[in-house]
Amino acid sequence: MTTANEYLKNVLAAQTFAEDSEQLKDLEQRRKDVEKVLRDKSGSSPTIRYGGSKAKGTMILESYDLDIVCYFAHDDTSGGETLEDIYNNVRKTLEAEYVVEQKGSALRLRDRSGQTSGIYIHVDVVPGRFTDESKGDVFLYRSTGEKKRLKTNLDVHINHVRDSGVRDEIRLMKLWNVRNVVSIRTFVLELLVIKTLDGNASDALATRLEDVFTEFRDNSEKLSVEDPANPEGNDLSELLNDSVRSELASVAGRTLTLIGQSGWEPVFGQVEDKKANKQDAVRRAATAVTAPTKPWSREA
Amino acid sequence: MTVPWHRANPALFEKERREVEEAYPLLHVHVADDTVFIRGTYAVVFEAKELDRYVIEVELAKDHPRSLPIVRETEGRIPRVADRHMNSATGDACVILAVQRWEVWPIGRPLREFLDGPIHDFFLGQTHFEATGEWPFGEWGHGEKGIQEYLAKLIGVEDPRAIVRHLECLAAKKLKGHWPCPCGGGKQLRTCHLAFLGRLAQKIPRTVAKELVAAARRI
Repeated sequence: MTTANEYLKNVLAAQTFAEDSEQLKDLEQRRKDVEKVLRDKSGSSPTIRYGGSKAKGTMILESYDLDIVCYFAHDDTSGGETLEDIYNNVRKTLEAEYVVEQKGSALRLRDRSGQTSGIYIHVDVVPGRFTDESKGDVFLYRSTGEKKRLKTNLDVHINHVRDSGVRDEIRLMKLWNVRNVVSIRTFVLELLVIKTLDGNASDALATRLEDVFTEFRDNSEKLSVEDPANPEGNDLSELLNDSVRSELASVAGRTLTLIGQSGWEPVFGQVEDKKANKQDAVRRAATAVTAPTKPWSREA
Repeated sequence: MTVPWHRANPALFEKERREVEEAYPLLHVHVADDTVFIRGTYAVVFEAKELDRYVIEVELAKDHPRSLPIVRETEGRIPRVADRHMNSATGDACVILAVQRWEVWPIGRPLREFLDGPIHDFFLGQTHFEATGEWPFGEWGHGEKGIQEYLAKLIGVEDPRAIVRHLECLAAKKLKGHWPCPCGGGKQLRTCHLAFLGRLAQKIPRTVAKELVAAARRI
């Protein structure tokens, strides 16, 4: 009989990339491709670095991304005069090769070719401008919300998560978030998990996760987060608005009910090689449908 | 401005929400910007075993249940191409042929049945396609071709003009024997396909036939 903690460890193991996995190789190639597109346009001028879940050590197979930051020096106007110009110029450069979706300060890239058109390539590009010569803090443009400029620091963010001591919990909460499509930004979720578990004495992963869910369910109105890179300057309350809080509380409550009724497995599913015998199982499942509906396409 | 359905009919909203969340523990109903969404993981299950999982969002129309919900696969796993029955511009899934709705999920049926039927079949079909390269239940042609295929199958005739004529007869209050037969053979209906049309009239309600005439004329 697998205990709750063993089960959750198995979930984490199933969500971990093998060192030589095709996905990692593919991601590496994508990264090179994107950097080439940016360099071809901007030369050696911007600082192009890598962030996101890979740098933080919180990647999960089911939802992974690579943030590529493209920061121009504080006195460099080759990428644009204003932050908005930089954001839009980088966007236009990328649009030559990708379908680009604006997501706050980031630009989300989707494939634009043939049969893989529209597939997220797991790369987000974050344009910005360093605040000074030290190349630490940056200003980012925000395409949504009232405040259009954000001051932040990539290294502070990465270190805050990487050194939090709760990366397993963060990875599982990210998986929970992905599976439930809660409209909370991953960055905010990470901060909430770190804050909620700060000083938590339990060493059982399952208990700690339940503590997070309980906090979300019972105290959603009191939840608050600060940007570790700019606690006073960046107001994150917009990212944790009433709609997000109520959804967080509702889904966390349903998750706790599910755990209480049936244990953890319904929350994250069976951990096994789902590819094995899949063809046969899927064929049998299709045969069992008595009055099936056929898919269509509006596009000719 | 029209009041969205969930505020106009809170009892229906509560019923739909309760039924969906009871049947699908990994889906939740959430209202954002005055729009009702169903979000979460849709598990494709067979014989109590999970075959696959899709992370989805179903956006209910403001006039639900009149208009069809919009279904999205939010992980970006399914390519946004017509051949995978995904709208390339919006990423919406073409779960069913809109003109076939009256047969597969008529207006007024519970929302849960949309998840049990069309959504289940769509995602099982996607998993089947990924595993085998085949659509298990077939697929409709893209765009108007699919509508044409469906109407031809429903009426049992291929000629688009004959389809319109048949549907016009079915949309009429009463079939009249002296009408020219919609088959185009030149005889009166009473000496040609009257019995055939009578059987069709039993299968296709007049209100549906009226809507189908409009769809057939657009082709």
